[in-house]
Amino acid sequence: MSTILQDIETQIAGLKTSTTKSNTGIVREAGDGVVKIEGLSDVMLNEMIEFPGGLYGLALNLEETEVGCILLGDFTEVKEGTEVKTTGRLLQVPVGKSLLGRVVNTLGQPIDGKGPVKSDVSYPVEKVAPGIIKRKSVSQPVQTGIMAIDAMIPIGRGQRELIIGDRATGKTTIAIDTIINQANINKANEGKADFRPLYSIYVAIGQKNSNVARSIAVLEAAGAMEYTIIVSSPASESATNQYLAPFAGAAMGEWFMDNGMDALIVYDDLSKHAVAWRQVSLVLKRPSGREAYPGDVFYLHSRLLERSARVDEKNGNGSLTALPVVETQAGDVSAYIPTNVISITDGQIYLETDLFYQGIRPAISVGLSVSRVGSAAQIKAIKQVAGKMKGDLAQFRELAAFAQFGSDLDAKTKAQLDRGQRIVELFKQIQYKPLAVEIQVSSLWAMQNGYLDSVPVDRVKEFQLKLQDYMATRKEPVLAAIRDKKQIDKDVEAQLKAALDEFKTTFK
Amino acid sequence: MRLNKEARKVCRQLFRSSFTDGKLDAAKTSSLVGSIIEGKRRHYVDILKEYHRLVRLEAAKTHAVIESASALTPETGGKVENDLRARYGADLTTEFKVTPELIGGLRIKIGSDVWDGSVRHRLDRLSQQFSQV
Repeated sequence: MSTILQDIETQIAGLKTSTTKSNTGIVREAGDGVVKIEGLSDVMLNEMIEFPGGLYGLALNLEETEVGCILLGDFTEVKEGTEVKTTGRLLQVPVGKSLLGRVVNTLGQPIDGKGPVKSDVSYPVEKVAPGIIKRKSVSQPVQTGIMAIDAMIPIGRGQRELIIGDRATGKTTIAIDTIINQANINKANEGKADFRPLYSIYVAIGQKNSNVARSIAVLEAAGAMEYTIIVSSPASESATNQYLAPFAGAAMGEWFMDNGMDALIVYDDLSKHAVAWRQVSLVLKRPSGREAYPGDVFYLHSRLLERSARVDEKNGNGSLTALPVVETQAGDVSAYIPTNVISITDGQIYLETDLFYQGIRPAISVGLSVSRVGSAAQIKAIKQVAGKMKGDLAQFRELAAFAQFGSDLDAKTKAQLDRGQRIVELFKQIQYKPLAVEIQVSSLWAMQNGYLDSVPVDRVKEFQLKLQDYMATRKEPVLAAIRDKKQIDKDVEAQLKAALDEFKTTFK
Repeated sequence: MRLNKEARKVCRQLFRSSFTDGKLDAAKTSSLVGSIIEGKRRHYVDILKEYHRLVRLEAAKTHAVIESASALTPETGGKVENDLRARYGADLTTEFKVTPELIGGLRIKIGSDVWDGSVRHRLDRLSQQFSQV
């Protein structure tokens, strides 16, 4: 008995003498958010390093006698000779539903002044993407609410669709519209049995604070914030934080995917992300390659975008859809970062300055935009009405260029041109007003069945808006039928025909 | 300071050849340094500086700095030394320091490993835990 007691006593005594072993190093060089540390013999790659005053760094370069470390936070306090120690931890961010409606920084700390984020789960910022066994092909749609996209360049849950274009062509608007539309759908279907809500994460990388504030205001006004997490690392933040922000956002999105939910993540934008990573790499003295980007700039984006996936039922049946944004210079899609990201993603939405200034907004270039997997996710109703629209529109563009030279056109060509002009008009849409899928179907059905052919081109928009109003106020059962059946069967077709015939007589 | 490639290579060679049975050899290092100074090859000052750094880091691995709030009695000091030698090998050199900021307890640094049992360290940890809450 006494030996047992003694044993316990020695164990308790052992608890009191809390001598801890730690692995330390001394800062030898500091500047630009990067420090060189001597010592740290036990450090691991990507490990967090603790600096005095609650500051942390990440070990990125492990050299023979030195460690290159990037700092997460205010780096002006770090001086040569400062003692630092390893923590044995990887960088983690809080994840979970409590982040919805919040604006956080790269480390998951709130910056919206709404108090602390209550989350008891954390995910590592760098995580290996799900492998092939866990994955499933994309089959459910993400309704962006933008008719041109939903009809011609459909996006599926788990897809990675790049939004690419010059500055001020409406790239962010498309992303924000999509987020607003998800909120609208989530609200309309709340509580329904097999409805899968889509949560959104908007990662702002290297943007102007004013722009981020504006986007937040738009989302708040549309009531979309309650389904949205905003990760903001504006231009005034260190390059380190800008580099890590999309990975932090991806970790938050992965939590939804792992827990059987669907999430959408927007990386706005990856060109600035590449620039931030270039800065970090250059101050770490890593060798540079084309346009001074480091050699691993492709891997940087591929490992980030690979984390978007659709996983099978065994692994929760969740998904993470990514909408990366890339800004081009003077429409040059063959620059380094655009080609990289185009080759990683499952398609792109290409926005053109010319179209934008012609008043075609969203300025989507139909010829250069594709979606490689999304058509499998399109609902049947849209397929029925928009199946040939992309081809029609592409043909129209070709003919329109050709028709400028001559005035004598045969009847068939003329009909194609007329139809094309009306489709272009139909796809014009004002920003922050995403359309529900049933409204889109009814407008497209009207176009497909020639109801717009007799409407003058400059009145097509008016016709469409009035039709939308009419359908929403007078023919709600037809819309409900499209929404529930998700296809146009004989019954729905007859109802649509009756509705359109009636509307056509009132439209003057 | 950025050392050029060739100088760094020379440095590494020098450093590798200054070991006998896996331990730094004082006689070898001083003769190597002497020969470099005499040879006056290109960048020899930079080479020597880098070499000094490498040797300093290597030497620190077998050197223990024992800090305490007040001077240790010879018995306690001897006991600590013996314990450390048992753990880190007989060729460990020791250095005693008095650091009143520790308040109490010992802090031992060998290479980049630090064993911290000081009151200061525990207070720091406590304040950190409180600031997290």
